[in-house]
Amino acid sequence: MPLFGQRTRHLKGKPRRGNRKPDTGISDPPSGRKPIDGRLDALIAEATRVFGTDTTLTIRRFRIFGSFPAAMLYFPNMLDQTALNESILKPAMTVPPGQSLSEWTSQGLLGKLASEALWHSECREIEDCDSMIQALLQGDTVLAAEGSPAALVVGTRKIDKRGIDQPGTEQVIRGPREGFVEPIGPNIALIRYRLQSAELRTRQMTIGRRTLSKVVICYMDGLTDPELLAEVDRRLSAIDIDAVLDSGYLEQFIEDNQWSPFPQVQYTERPDKVVANLLEGRIAILVDGSPLALIVPTVFNQFYQAVEDYTERFMQMSAIRMARLVALVFSLVFPSIYVSIISFNPELIPTEFAVAVAGGRAGVPWPAVVEVLIIEISMEVLREATIRLPQQVGGALSIVGVLVIGQAAVAAGFASPITVVIIALTTIGSFATPAYNAALALRLLRFPLIIIAGIFGLYGVMIGLILIANHLLSLKSFGVPYLSPLVPVSFEGMKDLLIRGPLWWMKRRPEFLKPRDADRVGPNMTEPPETNEDAGRGSSTPSNSKE
Amino acid sequence: MSARGDVASKKNVRLAARLSLLLLMSALLSGCWDRTEIEDRAIVLGVSIDKAPPEAEKEEDPITHYEAKLGPPTSDLIRVGVQIALPGRIPLGPGESGGSGGNDPQKTVWVIDVVGHSVNDALMNLQQELSARLFFGHLRVIVVSEEMARFGLDNVDDYFHRNPEVRRMAWMMVAKGEALALMKAAPKLERVPSLYLMTTLDQGIRMGKFPQDYIGLFWSRKAKLGQEGFLPYVELKKSQNVETKGLALFRDSRMVGSTSPLDIAVYMALKGNNPGGYSAFVEVKGTEVMTHVTHREEKTTFKIRDGKPFFTFKASFELNLEEKMNDVLSAQDPSMIREIEEAQSKGAKKLIEAFLEKTQELDSDVLGLGEYVRAKSPGYWNKNVRTKERWQRMYKEIDYEVEVNMNIRRVGMKAQ
Amino acid sequence: MKATRDITATQAAAVVVSTIIGVGVLPLPLFTVQAADTGAPLVTLLASVLALVGLLFVTLLGMRFPDHSIIQYSEQIIGKWPARTINACVIVFFALLTSLTAREFGEVVVTSVLKQTPVEVTVIVMLMLAAISARNNITTFSYIHLFYVPLLLVPVLMIITLSLKNAEPLNLQPIWGNQPSGMLQGILTVAALFQGSFVMTIMIPAMRRPAKALAVSFYSILIAGGLYVVIVIAVVGVFGAQETKKLLWPTLELAKATSLPANVLERLDGAFLAVWVTAVFTTLLTSYFLTSVSLKQMLRLEEPRIFTFFLLPFVFVLAMMPANIAKMYEAVARAGQIGLGLTMVYPGLLLLISLLRRKRGKPIER
Repeated sequence: MPLFGQRTRHLKGKPRRGNRKPDTGISDPPSGRKPIDGRLDALIAEATRVFGTDTTLTIRRFRIFGSFPAAMLYFPNMLDQTALNESILKPAMTVPPGQSLSEWTSQGLLGKLASEALWHSECREIEDCDSMIQALLQGDTVLAAEGSPAALVVGTRKIDKRGIDQPGTEQVIRGPREGFVEPIGPNIALIRYRLQSAELRTRQMTIGRRTLSKVVICYMDGLTDPELLAEVDRRLSAIDIDAVLDSGYLEQFIEDNQWSPFPQVQYTERPDKVVANLLEGRIAILVDGSPLALIVPTVFNQFYQAVEDYTERFMQMSAIRMARLVALVFSLVFPSIYVSIISFNPELIPTEFAVAVAGGRAGVPWPAVVEVLIIEISMEVLREATIRLPQQVGGALSIVGVLVIGQAAVAAGFASPITVVIIALTTIGSFATPAYNAALALRLLRFPLIIIAGIFGLYGVMIGLILIANHLLSLKSFGVPYLSPLVPVSFEGMKDLLIRGPLWWMKRRPEFLKPRDADRVGPNMTEPPETNEDAGRGSSTPSNSKE
Repeated sequence: MSARGDVASKKNVRLAARLSLLLLMSALLSGCWDRTEIEDRAIVLGVSIDKAPPEAEKEEDPITHYEAKLGPPTSDLIRVGVQIALPGRIPLGPGESGGSGGNDPQKTVWVIDVVGHSVNDALMNLQQELSARLFFGHLRVIVVSEEMARFGLDNVDDYFHRNPEVRRMAWMMVAKGEALALMKAAPKLERVPSLYLMTTLDQGIRMGKFPQDYIGLFWSRKAKLGQEGFLPYVELKKSQNVETKGLALFRDSRMVGSTSPLDIAVYMALKGNNPGGYSAFVEVKGTEVMTHVTHREEKTTFKIRDGKPFFTFKASFELNLEEKMNDVLSAQDPSMIREIEEAQSKGAKKLIEAFLEKTQELDSDVLGLGEYVRAKSPGYWNKNVRTKERWQRMYKEIDYEVEVNMNIRRVGMKAQ
Repeated sequence: MKATRDITATQAAAVVVSTIIGVGVLPLPLFTVQAADTGAPLVTLLASVLALVGLLFVTLLGMRFPDHSIIQYSEQIIGKWPARTINACVIVFFALLTSLTAREFGEVVVTSVLKQTPVEVTVIVMLMLAAISARNNITTFSYIHLFYVPLLLVPVLMIITLSLKNAEPLNLQPIWGNQPSGMLQGILTVAALFQGSFVMTIMIPAMRRPAKALAVSFYSILIAGGLYVVIVIAVVGVFGAQETKKLLWPTLELAKATSLPANVLERLDGAFLAVWVTAVFTTLLTSYFLTSVSLKQMLRLEEPRIFTFFLLPFVFVLAMMPANIAKMYEAVARAGQIGLGLTMVYPGLLLLISLLRRKRGKPIER
């Protein structure tokens, strides 16, 4: 709703320092752009000065091939100690076979070392101190020699990470069980091996003044709309904060409308989901240190789609998807409709039921709207509590909470039985929404709806729903209307909206993403290949459906 | 004009607009005017209206009028009874068995009555005595005594028509004798008495025993220029159950006569209502059999003959043979079947003609024959009739011809 | 507001249809039977035809000047000051229409559903809702209408289909009614319900392909008019003409008298009211939007959003002016007559004059 600010990002003033081009250095280097001038002791002194009393910095002096004084600086536990010993230190101590010591001078020593002696795959030269500091911070090893104006940075970074496991929040029955991990390298690998296309591009940026987090934008060249890419780039570049600890931080900066309860950026832990969205023309953003990848632009119908919708067969999953949609609507309007019927329009329910409900409510001292609000708020508190509790206690509490407390509340005259049933159904309905952030939005919107239902009844519920619908209609995510493909109408998009059309029927990519190449199913692919009555003679080969 | 200042003032304006909007909206929260909790409503399930003798005026307090100065209204007194559902006493599930006697109607509903000069007057008097607000959204039955019906139902109709809570699918019926007794009746088959009344008639429609005659339909028929309304005519029997005695025929808002139960079948036959639900005795060869009507079809045509409307009714029935009194006749014999059919045709024709005569005598065109004239010969109507009163007088003079066709289709499980 | 030509023909049709289907749906059958008894459906049909003619004037005129709205090109046709005075009348009329629509809405709600709520509250809530939603640009405006149109049509058609089983054909005969003398008046009254279609004047400059505007007009009147005719047929068929004369809001009573098969839900009027709230909202949104945009264009301002809240108090006061429901309907009838003149005769005259003076804007690229 424009009243409460739909600001597409306005860039004011000059672009901020710190994150303009990919891979910039630190904005305000504590050691300045001091060149390495070949004096080893000065270099070590500089490093010690920068890191102060940080005693974890390890400095290993040795002599290359026994003759050239050199030092190795690194932070232990951030690197692969074995590689350090075997691939760097060992070959640096021994003259490579077939060469003699006389061929080595201190001029260009490190360069020659890197190209002829060291057995490590990632070596590069640096020439100033702040590159050295940054390399050390990343977990690389710095190799400096006396008399050499350049130092060698060996990419020995290896951070302990957890194993690739099924993501906790997005479980599937049928589909890959791989989920992203925190370091960005393996994540990109997970994407790349699924999408072995030369058009997959990964563009890197550094965001966050102090965390200097690596942020990677993935897209399909030749498929994704270049304007979208430019917009994503622009919004990310404008971010100037201290820390980017999670992709969620980025989300809050790049979204179109921060006041809207509905999320405009989707996140996922599953690489197959990322790949599927990339192939539709979307852009994925990965952040080093966060297992959640962001996917933009987002439209509303993505929030009730699940991975199984596509891996299972279409008729069954269409029915399940519609059940999910019903659950979603339930979780929003059920309590408010209950309040409005009970307090304003009891003629809508059958007579016997109306009288029974009246009986159930007879002992409750407060109006229906207050009762519903009390139970709803207690339910929210219970939910939050169960998230924080350790596994063993949490499971028991949820069952206890719902059944026993609810029953006790009824017996105590706190609430009527019907209310407890309604609220329970509502909560269960909100669990059926696959996307947590969208479910959150609907959970929160329930409360204003209940209040307005308590004032105006069914009419109030309609007004509330109209307000919500209007807000959704005016919301945009990176220029794409939030309710595409429903409004503006796109027939192709409708095939995946309420039902899930068969794969061979959804021939084109969603047009609201403005893809460069719209076909995704081969032109001759219609139904699944016909089974020939004469089996064994070989059915007619359908054309290749891979693009 | 500095852009900076412009932006700042625009921001202020926006802020002011938003704040004032929020303030305005919060003011609305101050009242939930229409919220009436369901347990605060007195759910009225049934209403009964009787005429009250003038002595009953003592019962009434000056609630809607003054006694001496402005004088009480001149309308006659009526006694209005309401049946209010007691919250929670009508259990949804199996309910408590024995013990509190949960099914005793004395415990599930509460019947009270008051006197007043009009329906609204009586209800206002009633509201004065009740703690909960009367709620008519679930009103299902309105019982009117015959005396009241003959006196005229204008006021009753007006009140219920104007009240937005009343549904058009409620039933209004005319009771022989006192209407209040029906409110207090406690039939054993249903938990709630008014629902029993309603179910009797609803099931009657489904069984083919009664045509659709909700209060909305009654009003529609009454309003039409060429038709009169009718209502179910019921009577309370000794074991507290209610018998449908026939149709109460109306002219405008006054009841003018009633029919026998079999006449309901005649009415339904003439309207082609289905399913069929009545059985009849047929005398054949000195003995009697009973047949049951399963399906009715009817075609009414009319033309103007000698300056008067002339109607032709062609009715055809499908029957089942249900019962024989003895074995004199054989159910397998086609000629016997044929005789039964013919005998019944003659009998039916007589019944139909008798019914039509009766309605003509009472000037009550419940069949809506005037509508045929109005719709199909508008010229004739506009010239000769034009108003309802004239049709009511003209109705006596129409001519008609009845043709009946009976077909026995099945004879049950017995082969003879 | 720079014209971003983004609106497809379907969206434009949706805007017109949902604008026309509004608060008039409820008393419509009453007007028609008061005019012509059982000739009510015929009256509605003829009124739709008349409305189509009026809309065609507006559309043809708009297609001659595909880049401007009527406020702008009327000045080209008949000169600055005559155009300005008449345009001011048009704007005042639409403000008035907004207020009367909101008031009628409030009256229905307060009479049938929320009996204790003051009518001011229902009116102001509805007006605020329209004012907030009118702050969008025209593309979002048409999205809103496109979204709500199926929500209007489907339930209404469902209720009508369910109710037809109670209809009697005799109630609808004779087709031209027993007393057709009031037919002309009835046609005019019903045609006044179609006034919202004037919104075409601001839709054409924003349409992607203005050449399709003729088809849009035709189909939208077909749909809206068709729906009206079907509603009247259902109401008169179920109740009969005489009973309908006694009902203030016959369509609502029709919903009350309908029940889903197997009596799953009775009293569908609660649900019907919910749908009808949406219909009124779309109508109010359009007239509010039209008023504020026209005002902005006339005063040559760039920022249309200011007006939406600025207008709110005026419209509210106007809405509260009729003292009771009878006076309100009188005002509605009077406004209807003025409206017919402004929305049909005025564009017709403009069209004629523009043809005679050979004035036109940039022709449409085929």
